[in-house]
Amino acid sequence: MSLAISAIKYVNEIKNGNLTAEEFISKTFERIKKIDDNLHAYLSLNDNAIEQARQIDKRIKAKENVGVCLGMPISIKDNICVKETKTTCGSKVLENFVAPYDATVITKLKAEDAIIIGKTNLDEFAMGLTTEFSAYGPSKNPWNAEYVPGGSSGGSAVSVSAQECIASLGSDTGGSVRNPASFCSIVGFKPTYGLVSRFGLISYSNSIEQIGPMTRTVEDNAFLLNIISGLDPNDNTTIDNKNVDYLSNIDAGVEGKKIGIISEMTKGIDKDVSSATNDAVSQFEKLGAKIDEISLEMVEYSVASYYTITATEAGSNLARYDNLRYGFDFDLEGYEFNSYITKARKNFGPEVTRRMILGGFVPSAGHAGKYFLKALKVKNKLTTEINEVFKKVDLLIAPTVPILPFKLGEKVDDPVALFLVDINTVTANLTGKPSISVPFQITNGLPIGIQILGKPMEDKLVLQAAHALEKTTNLPEVPI
Amino acid sequence: MVSKEEIERVAKLMRIEIDDHVVHVDRVQKMIEYFDILDKAGIETQELIVQEQKIENLREDKFIPYEDKLIDKLKNYKGTYIKAPKMV
Amino acid sequence: MTKIGLEIHCQLTKLESKLFCPCKADYRGFEPNTNICPICVGLPGSLPRLNQKALEKAALISLALKCNIPGKISFFRKNYFYPDLPKNYQITQFDAYGPTSMGNNGIINIEGKEIRIRRIQLEEDPGRLIYEGSSEKTQITLVDYNRAGTPLVEIVTEPDFESPKQVRVFLNILVDLLENLGVSDPVLEGAIRADGNVSIKGGNKVEIKNVSSFHDLEKAVHFEITRQQSLADRNIPIELETRQWDDRRKITVSARSKEEEQDYRYFLEGDIPWVILDPKYVQNLQKEMPESISSKKDRYIKQYQIPMQVAEVLSSDKYYSDLFEQSYNDKNAKEIANIITTDLMGFVDTKEKRVQSKLSSRHLSELAAAIISNKITRNSAKTALQEIVQTGKSLSEIISELDLGQVFDESAILGVIDEVINEEVNAVNEIKEKPETVNFLVGKVMKKTKGKADPSITLQLLKSKLGI
Repeated sequence: MSLAISAIKYVNEIKNGNLTAEEFISKTFERIKKIDDNLHAYLSLNDNAIEQARQIDKRIKAKENVGVCLGMPISIKDNICVKETKTTCGSKVLENFVAPYDATVITKLKAEDAIIIGKTNLDEFAMGLTTEFSAYGPSKNPWNAEYVPGGSSGGSAVSVSAQECIASLGSDTGGSVRNPASFCSIVGFKPTYGLVSRFGLISYSNSIEQIGPMTRTVEDNAFLLNIISGLDPNDNTTIDNKNVDYLSNIDAGVEGKKIGIISEMTKGIDKDVSSATNDAVSQFEKLGAKIDEISLEMVEYSVASYYTITATEAGSNLARYDNLRYGFDFDLEGYEFNSYITKARKNFGPEVTRRMILGGFVPSAGHAGKYFLKALKVKNKLTTEINEVFKKVDLLIAPTVPILPFKLGEKVDDPVALFLVDINTVTANLTGKPSISVPFQITNGLPIGIQILGKPMEDKLVLQAAHALEKTTNLPEVPI
Repeated sequence: MVSKEEIERVAKLMRIEIDDHVVHVDRVQKMIEYFDILDKAGIETQELIVQEQKIENLREDKFIPYEDKLIDKLKNYKGTYIKAPKMV
Repeated sequence: MTKIGLEIHCQLTKLESKLFCPCKADYRGFEPNTNICPICVGLPGSLPRLNQKALEKAALISLALKCNIPGKISFFRKNYFYPDLPKNYQITQFDAYGPTSMGNNGIINIEGKEIRIRRIQLEEDPGRLIYEGSSEKTQITLVDYNRAGTPLVEIVTEPDFESPKQVRVFLNILVDLLENLGVSDPVLEGAIRADGNVSIKGGNKVEIKNVSSFHDLEKAVHFEITRQQSLADRNIPIELETRQWDDRRKITVSARSKEEEQDYRYFLEGDIPWVILDPKYVQNLQKEMPESISSKKDRYIKQYQIPMQVAEVLSSDKYYSDLFEQSYNDKNAKEIANIITTDLMGFVDTKEKRVQSKLSSRHLSELAAAIISNKITRNSAKTALQEIVQTGKSLSEIISELDLGQVFDESAILGVIDEVINEEVNAVNEIKEKPETVNFLVGKVMKKTKGKADPSITLQLLKSKLGI
């Protein structure tokens, strides 16, 4: 019984009686026990998972109504609230925070009888690209444990890639689902802004982030998207997707579709990534799509705009962490208000600390005009630009990350170099467009992913294009 | 070039203490310098693009008491209040 | 040249739920921290859910104050740290990107003077701080979030007031207006609060905060004007600052410089998409708006010939005007207005009494009819009214139970008059020098007949009996 099966295959095996949920969960736990001390994908595990699996097996046997997930193990990034579970955001500041409610996506998963098998590691408060900023230590890339798995949803990507679960939910603010998906050779999708409820996602930059599925196949991704998407009264920013089925017709292909390749995202990149991108382009052409180069001038400013806007929003979203209502143990005896909360907030890691300072600076009275307001204008201009482009093409492609995965410790000290790893992914967040990363090649044992962007609410088309590209690949299994 | 004093002032506003001055200040300065690129972006008159909603979309005005006793799950003082440090 | 401006915070206590969550809008009476949920306590991952009716009430206020309402409104975050602010930011409104708050450029007329309204905005109230312990050393700050998230409308005026008295008149009018509009109940403690700002001779503006009542605000403004004038007289410049009202010493004191340090870093609230306010929607609201106080007053005077003082009282108190509207007809309008504003007032002078009152509009119409048809005297009517308010019994029941039927019979009255004249020898002797003593004697007759003798007939008979 292989743990490497897809969600769709799992469902079939359960339905055919070839597999029980309990068996699969037990085997998954064995695998986690074997490899996770090294890979460190998980921050916490669900001790009740096996019992929950047993209950589901009972109900299946009794031919009761069971949800479509049939007990499959899903891991959840630790910035998404799961009721009565520690939700730390990879931070010391929330060391003892036990979420008293389920995020909407969790409610939906549980209603379909998925089993939340554990919470995964992330850069602290989702600010980072490698999980090296987690207060609980980094995660490691299962393709080569000396390399970063990407971030901020690094733990999620590792858990899926290393077969420590069937699938995962991550969050993507500037590439945090797609980037680790690319680095770990899995599928990572950032849906249209508003497609998936953010209720229960602990905010980093609320105007641009989305929860996204991370899976081993594109079909699995559509399968999960069906469950977690939809209008939610608990989140005013959600949009009505009219209950579209993302899985049906997933093999529709890209015949006749016009695809633009974003030139700013393919210049000056790693030569291996460049060559992989060219291969992907040829594959799309063979599949009947028409490829043209297009230009998005604002991409050059997108990273500065992104970090300015996210610093501002993060500075505000993280202000609530003053340790008065929840957080970690720290007696307030002898302190006055400002000195207490300043001391408590010293438990932010160095990257979050820096973003807090940035977030106070760029929107401040003397500087907002130069930084924050300009960043907003860049965001708006980029949106206008990409909307114009989408009048001529159906989809856009680019490599997900301009470079190959790099070693742990390599970039952690150079802030601007680290920023620029995001340059291909932030555009989709700033403009609210759906964007997926599809694993495409392994070069020197390191994964390269290709990114596909679509028009807002055309997530189905993006998944179809991703599926078409995926079918042209024949990638090796993860070497662990 | 942003001064060290300015960065310290902002940190205080954000209730962030930077005792390891050089490292943080230096890196924050680098980040802010990078943002100067925004000046070149050519964006003088840009319409604000915003998400909109209809008034019918909003929540109905109904009192629904929260089902759990939430204060028990938070850091509470004598089971009823949240304790705060002395206000000066 | 004194310039005073006001900032009024009005809780929308007539709403069922808070501004961004379904907890109760009126938090009074709850045990501490029992009217809370993940949203109003700012738990990680929680998101605001805007209350549709709150927008409606705020729009009504804008309309009543003749403000412009923009086609789209948005919310902003005001960022600062304080223990009563669970997210350490307040969701409020701000006019960046043009006017985007609930109303702007309105006007209100107070006894001939026009006060311009700069802005109306919707925002959330913070929680409450309680200080435990008697001495400075044992003082612990406790926080109760029951109030956090309560919907507030902030009304900002231009500095058009010239005196503390104008401030007081304005506040009284505004409070009646807000009550009449059905958006807030001013009787509730803390429902309507006000801060002010003062400048003289075109100098620096000084904000005054921490004023707990309108009465204190008037005093604080007065003190501040005096303080500034005395500084100006000595050529000492007036600082641009925020001052707190010290209730104990009845003076304003300079607030900490923490106010100057504040940089609120206002930016758009991304969790609440901009709300489109269709012109049709606003027009509908205008149509369905409750009638204004001044319009009611005019109507009462013109249509029912109710005297101006009576109309004034009747129209400016929603409880009274509601009662009036429900019980009057063309014939008894004046009488009902009279009953309400003279007799009833004493029996329903507190909120509890109003809530417990068993008086219905039918009672009032029956009472008015009985007075008009001389079935009972005014005095008896007052007694009956008190009984109705307390028990809700029908008028006929009360008349028979308390034997309040009008005593017409002249001979019966004369009989009582004779008794009184015999008993009150001194008064009778004084009559020639002090004719007004006859009223005292009328009173005695009324007492003996338990108010059932007609007072004007009694007076006539007494006068003729005594030959005056």
